[in-house]
Amino acid sequence: MSGLNTAPLPEPQRGQLANGTSLVQLDLPNAPVVCLDFWCRSGSGVEAPGEAGIAHFLEHMVFKGSHSLQAGEFDQRIEALGGNSNAATGFDDVHYHVLIPPEACAEALELLTDLVLQPRLDRSDFDMERQVVLEELAQSEDQPEEVAFQQLLKQSCLDHAYGKAILGDRDALLGHTPEAMARFHARHYRADRCCLSVAGPLAALQLEEQLQRSALAELVPSEADARPAPLQFMPGEERLELPRLEAARLLMAWPLPGAADQMSVVGGDLLTTLLAEGRRSRLVERLREQLRLVESVDLDLNVLESGCLVLLEAVCEPEHLSRVRAEINGVLKALQQEIPSEAEVERARRLVGNGYRFSLEAPSAVAAMVGNSALWDRKHNLQAPLDWLEEWDGQRLVQDVVPQLQPEQAFVLEAVPA
Amino acid sequence: MSSAGVQQRELSGGCPLWLIERPGPAILSAKLWIRGGSSADPSGQRGASQLLAGVLSRGCGPFSGDALADLVEGRGAGLRCEAAEDGTLISLKCASDDAALLLPLVLQMVTSPWLVEDQVALERQLNLQTLQRQKEDPFQVAHDQLRQQLYGSGPYGHDPLGVEDELCALARPQLEQMTHQLGQEGAVMVLAGQIPAEPEQLLLHQLEGQSWRTQAPKRLAGASGLKQVSLASNVDETEQLVLMLGTTTAPLGSEQALALRLLHCHLGIGMSSRLFVALREEHGLAYDVGVHYPARLGDAPFVFHLSSSSERAEDATRELLNEWLRLLEEPISDAQLQLAKAKFKGQEALGRQTCSQVADRHALVLGHGLPFDFADRCLLEAEALTPSDLHQAAQALLQGPSLSLCGPQDAIEAATAVWTGHPLNRS
Repeated sequence: MSGLNTAPLPEPQRGQLANGTSLVQLDLPNAPVVCLDFWCRSGSGVEAPGEAGIAHFLEHMVFKGSHSLQAGEFDQRIEALGGNSNAATGFDDVHYHVLIPPEACAEALELLTDLVLQPRLDRSDFDMERQVVLEELAQSEDQPEEVAFQQLLKQSCLDHAYGKAILGDRDALLGHTPEAMARFHARHYRADRCCLSVAGPLAALQLEEQLQRSALAELVPSEADARPAPLQFMPGEERLELPRLEAARLLMAWPLPGAADQMSVVGGDLLTTLLAEGRRSRLVERLREQLRLVESVDLDLNVLESGCLVLLEAVCEPEHLSRVRAEINGVLKALQQEIPSEAEVERARRLVGNGYRFSLEAPSAVAAMVGNSALWDRKHNLQAPLDWLEEWDGQRLVQDVVPQLQPEQAFVLEAVPA
Repeated sequence: MSSAGVQQRELSGGCPLWLIERPGPAILSAKLWIRGGSSADPSGQRGASQLLAGVLSRGCGPFSGDALADLVEGRGAGLRCEAAEDGTLISLKCASDDAALLLPLVLQMVTSPWLVEDQVALERQLNLQTLQRQKEDPFQVAHDQLRQQLYGSGPYGHDPLGVEDELCALARPQLEQMTHQLGQEGAVMVLAGQIPAEPEQLLLHQLEGQSWRTQAPKRLAGASGLKQVSLASNVDETEQLVLMLGTTTAPLGSEQALALRLLHCHLGIGMSSRLFVALREEHGLAYDVGVHYPARLGDAPFVFHLSSSSERAEDATRELLNEWLRLLEEPISDAQLQLAKAKFKGQEALGRQTCSQVADRHALVLGHGLPFDFADRCLLEAEALTPSDLHQAAQALLQGPSLSLCGPQDAIEAATAVWTGHPLNRS
C-alpha cells in the first residue's frame, strides 16, 4: 500500500510451558508500561444449563482473593506498584489484565497468576459479590439501547450462547453457589485453554523461567478439545416498544464466518468500513448527510469464534423508521449491482489499516490482540492482517461478502419509545 | 516529562508550537487547543461553541466539506473538532507520511471555515438529536441536573452541546461572529510522534500568506460555582437510583488542587480506592462507583457518583454521605496517602502510552496557561504533601456538597429522608 509507512512491525515471541499453556511476548521497548494479559477460553459460551452468568460472576470473584491473597490484596498491591488491573468476560473467552511499570513486572506477574488460578471463593464474599453483579445487571437494564441489542441477539441467535446475556439473569444468579463455581473453574481453566500474553519493554524479564515456577505451570490439560458450537442464526424481524427510549432504533444483525476464517474477517472489516465509517461512507453519506433521516448509523463487525456478527444501529425519529430501513436496504442492494471503485475500496483499506496500526501503540491493545490470537491458535505475525487487506478488491468484496450482508439475511429489530 | 525530544517554537502570528518527538510507530498526533469552549458561549447562545466546532470540518480553505472528508478519510486519518468547557480542541491523527498533506488543514479550519448554511443546519439538527437521546441515560440526567445545581446559568452550567431552545436559534451569523474571535484568548499547538521536517511551513503554507493572530493562553480565572447546598431529583422509572454528590472546587494548578487530586486518587482511582472498597466491596451497594474531578480553568466540580438498586437507596445514600463527611472530619492515614501517591504517579505513566495521549495532556496543561512541565512538577510537589495538607484542602474546598438524584419515586423519597437528617446537610 503506497503511502502507508512500512516500518517493520515487531514479531511476537511464542512459547509454551511443559503443560501446554501458551505464552506470547511482544517487545515494545519505548512503552512506559508493560501489559500482562491472561486469557482463558471460558466465556459465557461454555456455560452448561443452569450456569447462566457464572463465567462473568467468576471473573468478579477472582478479584476477591486466592489461596494466598486476601480479598482486595491484589488490587492494593498492584496499585501500590503504580499499576492497574481489570478484566472482561465475553461470549468466547475471559481475560484479566494488568498494566504495570516495567520494574514491577515480575511481582505483578506472580500476583496475577496466583489470583486467577487459585480463587478463594469465600462464601460471604460470594454473597456480597452477587449483589454487585445484580447491580451491574440492573444498571444495564436501565440503558434501553442495551436492552434493545440484547433482544436482537436473543431473537436472532436462537438457542446459541450468543443469544444469551453474558451477565446471566436474576434467577440463575440467585441459584449459583461457590461449589458450582469452583467446579466451573476447575473444568475450564485448563493448561491448553489458557494463554499469557505480555507486551511492553521486556528487556529485563525472565518470563519463562518465572512462569515455570508459577501456578500457571501446575494447570492440567483438559480431556477433550471443545471448539465453540457453530453459530445458529435465523433471519427475521421484530418490533419492540421500550420505555425510556427517546429516539427510535433500527437494529440489524447478520452472521459471518467465525474468527478462524481470518481472510473473511478482514473482508468483513473492509466492507463495514466502506459502508459506515466516516462521512463519505455509503450509509453515513446517504442517511445522515444527504437525506438527514438519522442522528447516526453504525455498523460493527464483532469478531467471534462461533461466527462473527455484523450489527447495525441507526438512531432516528420513530416516524422515519420505515424510510430509514428502505434506504439501508437500497444501499446494500446497490452494492450487489455495481462493483465499488478502487478509490472507494482504497479509502476503506487505509481506514482499516491505519486503525490497526494506531492500535499497536498501546501495550494493552497489543497484548489483547496477540493474546487473543494465541489463545485461539492463530499464529500469524503482526504484519499479516495488513497483507491480507491487500488481497481484497471491490470485485472480491461484491462476490464474497456483499451477498452475506443483504436485507433478507438479516434479523431486523425496530425499537420505538413506548 | 524530560525535555529530551521536545522543542518549543512559535508560528508566525503568535501561536506557540510544541514538538514532542517520539520513537516507535510512524504516527503523528496534532492537537490545537483554543481557549474558549462552551463556557464562552455568548449569552442566549448556549451550544454555539460546539456547533461551530462541528461545522469547522464541513468545509475550509479550498476544500468543500465533501472534499475535506475525502482527503482525510482517503488517507485513513482522523480529524475531530470538539468544544469542551474551557476550550475547543482540534485533533488530527494520521500516518506520519501523510502529515504533509493533512497538517495544513488544521489552521485552515480556524482561519477560513466555509460555514455553509446548509451544513450548519445539519450539524445543529444532529446536536439537538443527541441532546434528546442523552436523556435515555439516567447518569446523564443526574449529571446535567447536578451541573445546574452547581453552576446555575453560569458558564459551566450547560452541556457543551447546548440548551435546546437556544441551539435551535443559532445560525451562520452567530458562528461567523465567533469565528472572528477564535484564538483571541490564546491557543496552543502540540505535535507528538514522528515530527515532519519544517512543521511550521506545513501548518502555514496554505494560508495564502496570512497568519493566524493569537498568543499563548494566559493564566486567568475561569468560571466559578454557586456554592449553595441543594437537593434536586428527577423521577424516572428505572431499576436503580443514580446519586451524584458534589461541589465546586478550584482551578487546575491552583494552590490546593494538587491535594485534591491526591484525594481523588485515594477515593476513586482503582479497585483499592476508598469508595470502591466501602460501597462495593464492603456493602455490595453498587457496580459502578467513583469520583469525577475534571481539570478546569475555573472552579472544577468534585463529584461522587453511584448507582444502586432502588430498594437499597437508603443504605446507598447514607454510606455515600458518610464517606464525604469522613473527608471533612478526619485526615486519611499515612498508608492511604502513600497508596494515593503511588496511583498518582502510576496514572501519569499510564497516560503516556500513545502519541495522542501525550499531545492531549500537554495541550490541556498549556491551554490552561500552565508550564509544559506542569505534570512533572506536580509529581515532585505531591511527594511533600501530608495527610494534614489533604485534610485542609478538603475542609477548604469540599464543604456543603449538593445532591442530585435520578430514579424511581420511592427511592428518591428514601434518599431524601437520609439527606435531610444527615449531619453533612445540617452543617
